[in-house]
Formats: sequence, structure tokens, C-alpha cells
Amino acid sequence: MLNPGRARRSAATEQNAVFRGAGLPWVFLLPSLLILAVFIYLPALQTLRLAAYRANVILGTEQFVGLANFTELLLSPAYRQVALQTLVFTVLTVSLGLLSALGLAWLASRPIRGAQTYRLLLIYPYALSPAIAGTLWLFLFNPEIGVVNQILGSLFDVRPRWLDTPLLAFGLVTLAAIWKGLAYNIVFYLASIQNLPGDVLEAAEIDGATPAQAFWRVAFPLLTPITFFLVFTNIIAALFDSFALTDILTRGGPYSGNAGATTFLVYQLYQDGFVNFKTGVAAAQAALMLALVAFITWMQFRVGERRVHYGA
Amino acid sequence: LGNVKTILLTLALTGTATAQTTVEFWHSFGDAKRSGWIQARADEFNKANPGVKVVPSYKGSYNDSLQATILAARQGKAPALVQLFEVGSQLALDSGAFQPVSSIKNVDFSDYIKPVINYYTIGGKVNSLPFNSSSPVLYFNQDLMKKAGLNPKTPPTTFGGLLRACQKIEAAQLEATCFGMSLNGWFVEQWMAQQGAALLNNGNGRQGRATAANLDSAAARNIFTFFKTLQTNKYYTYTGKLEDWDGSDAIFTNQKTVFHITSTADIGNIREAAQKNGFNVGVGVLPIADGTKRNGVVIGGASLWITKSVSKPQAMGALDFALYMTNTRNMADWHKLTGYYPVRQSSIDLLRQQGWFTQSPLQLVAFNQLTKTVASPATAGGLNGAAIQTRKIIEEGIQKVLGGQSVDAAMKDTKARVDAALREYNANFK
Repeated sequence: MLNPGRARRSAATEQNAVFRGAGLPWVFLLPSLLILAVFIYLPALQTLRLAAYRANVILGTEQFVGLANFTELLLSPAYRQVALQTLVFTVLTVSLGLLSALGLAWLASRPIRGAQTYRLLLIYPYALSPAIAGTLWLFLFNPEIGVVNQILGSLFDVRPRWLDTPLLAFGLVTLAAIWKGLAYNIVFYLASIQNLPGDVLEAAEIDGATPAQAFWRVAFPLLTPITFFLVFTNIIAALFDSFALTDILTRGGPYSGNAGATTFLVYQLYQDGFVNFKTGVAAAQAALMLALVAFITWMQFRVGERRVHYGA
Repeated sequence: LGNVKTILLTLALTGTATAQTTVEFWHSFGDAKRSGWIQARADEFNKANPGVKVVPSYKGSYNDSLQATILAARQGKAPALVQLFEVGSQLALDSGAFQPVSSIKNVDFSDYIKPVINYYTIGGKVNSLPFNSSSPVLYFNQDLMKKAGLNPKTPPTTFGGLLRACQKIEAAQLEATCFGMSLNGWFVEQWMAQQGAALLNNGNGRQGRATAANLDSAAARNIFTFFKTLQTNKYYTYTGKLEDWDGSDAIFTNQKTVFHITSTADIGNIREAAQKNGFNVGVGVLPIADGTKRNGVVIGGASLWITKSVSKPQAMGALDFALYMTNTRNMADWHKLTGYYPVRQSSIDLLRQQGWFTQSPLQLVAFNQLTKTVASPATAGGLNGAAIQTRKIIEEGIQKVLGGQSVDAAMKDTKARVDAALREYNANFK
């Protein structure tokens, strides 16, 4: 601190420091690698192995079936329906979720009276666990005694059957997932909006841009890095975190076509692996989901390099 | 020197600890009322038997507990005593991780209520000791029945009777649907048994592995048709979620349905809720298909299993504790606390002596329904290793009917899916 020149010099030597011999870095990496190996790599390999077996964890039986688990899954109308539902669910929650989060964050970041309170209220649902959120929605949308149908019934004399009409149940779970993810997205958007360069927006205003133009032409492009980040975290959340919500709200139902209308990939995996104990089939599903995540990650890097505008 | 003393002391202490047999008991009651009761029985037992230490612990749902037991057994750390639900029976049996209780020592099972012990008697052996047992009954809102001009003293006992009552309720224009219950495969199993029909082939899966479901039978058609009639007349409601016990109870106790079917274990809770909401609740026998003799109910609930890999003294300790916990006095006490059946005939006699049935007449219906059950493979209950899955498939089949599908199409699809699940399970043994 007293001698900035010396501090800079030592930082430079640290940056250029080279490990002598190939062994030392591995020694330093060993603790993390060990933990990763025990908790990530070995179980992942075990899962891949199990995917080639007809196995049941309770019975302890294993029969080699090769790729049969995969072909059966990919040919099964039920699994295809579940995959399609997951796709639609993911697209809807990510797009609508981010749009509404951006809109709300933009409004909440305006210099208005009580802005702090709005922000607080927008962010608090993040503190609820998905299980609690699911239970709340279940109470609200009970077709006979829920608050929503009491209001709808007295105002419009309609009492929709939210949980066993396939389309309504799907819409409800989607809406619940969007609502649950909203706070997280708003926090990130609020932070980014506050960091937008004021001079650029001011210049737009001076040049006569309308508020809508200022938002879409100036602010929105400047927000692409955070939007990009949120798109991918939201995709992963839609794929994996939808579990607790569906389990409590609909139990994957109602049954429609060849599968439950709100059964998504991760819920199907849970059902097969931990309720029906079809361990081999569940392992194959886990492998397919692993491939999916690998693909999404690859997309993230690819798109990230080309399209995202990282500012000046 | 101080260190040596400590070491010696520790050794001495561990020495006495190992002389004691520890019996781990995993159960699935997370609530204070029931887990507290179990702990109190364990404390009493441990005091009376200084050589044995029973340690009860809550291990999550029955499903979680079964999985945890199996994985622990593979590592040689199995709990001696585990509480498992009735649908998991065949799976537990096939896992090979448990031993029949009747092979540990000679136990006189004659005091156990017949239909209860029958469920858990497989291949002539009593595999597990009955513990918390229940069956479904009809609950009705006496006040709403009176409003609709129905006599609460004679509740419907058949599907036809229920549907006729529904007509009157519809005509009375109450702000309530006639009938509601949790959509649960357990009820379908009961309605098959009541008609004396086995749910599965091969003697309900008790003579050999079940390979097909009797879901194309006349008995099954009666059940599906009942739901079709309910659907076309809008006589039935539920939350829309499968196996939603709490949601359906809430609809009934909020007076949005006149009739309700659920487990006898809920009599206490529903009576309290009804009192709070200001109506009189009545309990009647489970309504069954018309034109059939009442064969009785299949027992639901859970039983106590003893694992195979534990030492002989541990197995003995586990069985002794299980027998203590389910003795005459304790079961009568358990029944009063929870509403589950006491599983012994002598407990029923004791309750009668104590005047329990005049104090709480609602319970009597439930008991008669159980004790009048005719012993047969149908009422012993269906066994299959994929029962958790097949129960859900049956629920989804009924849900399709409620969604407007024809009885024929729904039955055909349900049978095909159940048979496929059985086939898939049985393939594990090839």
C-alpha cells in the first residue's frame, strides 16, 4: 500500500510464476478432484453403466440390455409427449418469464415514490421454497374451496377445474413457475438497469427518442449480456427446478394422451427412479438429460461468442 | 496417567454398551402425536428389558424408508425393524432383505383380526406384523342430507343408492356437489374385493406372480361405469390432483360435498373439522356395486418388517418390541389416539368393555365392516411388485373417464398399461 510500485511488481511476478515440474499443480488440484470424483464423476459413470441394464434398486437385480432402455424411451409415445411438454414449458417460462421480469424491473427502476417498496415486494417471492409456493397455489386453485374460484364464481359464475383440465393445469404450472422465477430475474435486471451508462440514455433523450425507442433501441441492446446469462440459467431452472412445483401442485397430472399433462422430463425421471424403482430406465433418462445439458452449454458458448453485445 | 484413566473408562463404557442389543426401528410417522406415541412405547419397553435398546426414528415416507432400508442392508447396516406400507409388500418380499416374522419364533397370531393378518400372510407365512391398519368408509353431512330430504339414519350403501341420493341433492339445489373423494386406486382395490373379485390373476398374485389385471372383468366395469354416471351427471368433485387426501377432506369439511369416502383413520380429524364448521358428520359402510353380496374390505395401512441381515438377538428384540407395541392394551390406546384399527380381537373386546363404542358410535361401523369381512384371495388383497405404479395407472384410468372418455376405451387402456407394468416388473426375475 505504501509503495504501490513494489506491489505492482510483486503482482507481476505472481502472474508470471511457473510451477517447476508437472507434479505440483496436480497435488494442489487433488483435493477438488477427489471430491469431484467421488460425488460427480463416479456417480455419473455409474449412471451411464446402469443405463445399459434392466435394473431395480430394491431387488438388486441387473440384466444387461444394451441400448434397449434408450430405444424404448425414444420410441415410447409417453416419453415423447413428456419431452414435447418440457420443450413447450421451457420456452414459455423462459420467454414470458424474462419479458415480464424485464418490464417490471424497468418500471421499478423509474424514479418514483416508494420505488424501494415495489422492489422489495417484487423480490420477496424468491425467499419462498418451491414446496411452499406449490402448496400456496394448490390452496388458491382448489376448484371447490380455493379463493380464485370463489372470486371467479361470484363475479362471472365460472369455476374452472384448474388441476384436471389438461390445458388449464399446464397453464397453471407454467404460470406458477414464471411467478416463482420472477424475483430472481428481476434482481439481476434491476442491478443491470442501474448500471446502464446514463450518458447514452441521456443522449438518446436529447436526440428526441421516445421512451419506447430509448428502451428498445438503447437500453435493451445494452442488457443483452445479462439477458443471455438469464436465458441459460432459466432454461436449466425450467428443466430441473420445476420438480417440486409439479410434485406438489399436480403430481404430474392430469393424465392426457399418453402421459400426465404436467409431467416434465425431470419429474418422469423421479417417478421411474424413486417411486417405481425402475433404476435402469431412470439412468437412461438421466443420461439423455445429461446430453441435453451438454448441448445447452455448448449453445451457450457458441451463441455467447457471436451474438451478445458486451458494450463499449 | 489421566489419559490412561479416560481411555480405560471409555473402554469400560463401550463394553457395557455392546452387551446391550440395539434395535433400530425406522417408521414413517413424522407428526409429534404418532411418533411420540411410538417413542413412549420404546421407552417403556427399554425400561422393562435392560438387555435391549429400541431406537425409533422417522425415516421419511414409506417409499423413502423402504429404499433406505435396502441400501443400508447392502452395507450390512440394516435397521432391525421397519414399518412398510401394504402396497410395498410384494416388493419388500422380493427384495430378499426381510425375514418372515413367523420364522423368528413361535407367535400365536390367532388374536389378530383375520382380514388384517390375511393381507400379510403370504405363502402360508406371516411376513410382517400388522401395525397401523384402516379401511375406507362413507362419511356424510347429516345437515345437508336433511336439507335434501334424505334420512341420515339410512345412508346409501350401494352405488345405486348413492346415485339416487345424488338426484335428490341435485333437486334440492344445495350449493354442494353430491359426492367427493380423493381419486385413489386404493378405493378401486376395495370395490373389487367387496364384489369378491380378485384384482389380479394367479389368485390375486398370491399363488404365483401376477401377470395380468382383471380390469376387463364385470366387477371392474361396475366401478368404471359408476364413475361414468357420476361424470355425466356432475355428481362428483375432487381437487383434480390424484391421491389428494387433504384436498378432498377439505372440500367435505367445508360443506362443498354431501358424501365423502376416505380412510377410517380420518374419523377423528374429520369429526373435529365438522364440529368447527358447524355440521354433524355421520359414518356409514363403504357403498358398493349393486346386486352383489358384501364381501368386505382389504386392509390398508402398514406393517412391521424385520430385516434378514441382523443378528438373532436383534431380530428377537425387534419382534418382542413389535409384539409389545401391538399388545392388547397398547393397540386399544393407539386406536383411541389415531383412529387406526386396533389389530387384535382382544383390543376390540377391551374397547367394548371400556364403553368406547357408546362414546364414539362412528367407529362401530368401521369395525363391523372389518370384522364381517369374508376371507378369500379377493379380500386378502392383490399383491404385485409394481403396485405403486399400477395403483397410479388405475387412478389415471378413472381420471380419463371423469375427463369424458368412454368406459370401454378407458378400461382397455388401463388394463393394457397395468399388464405392461406387471410384465416389466416380472422381467426382473428372468
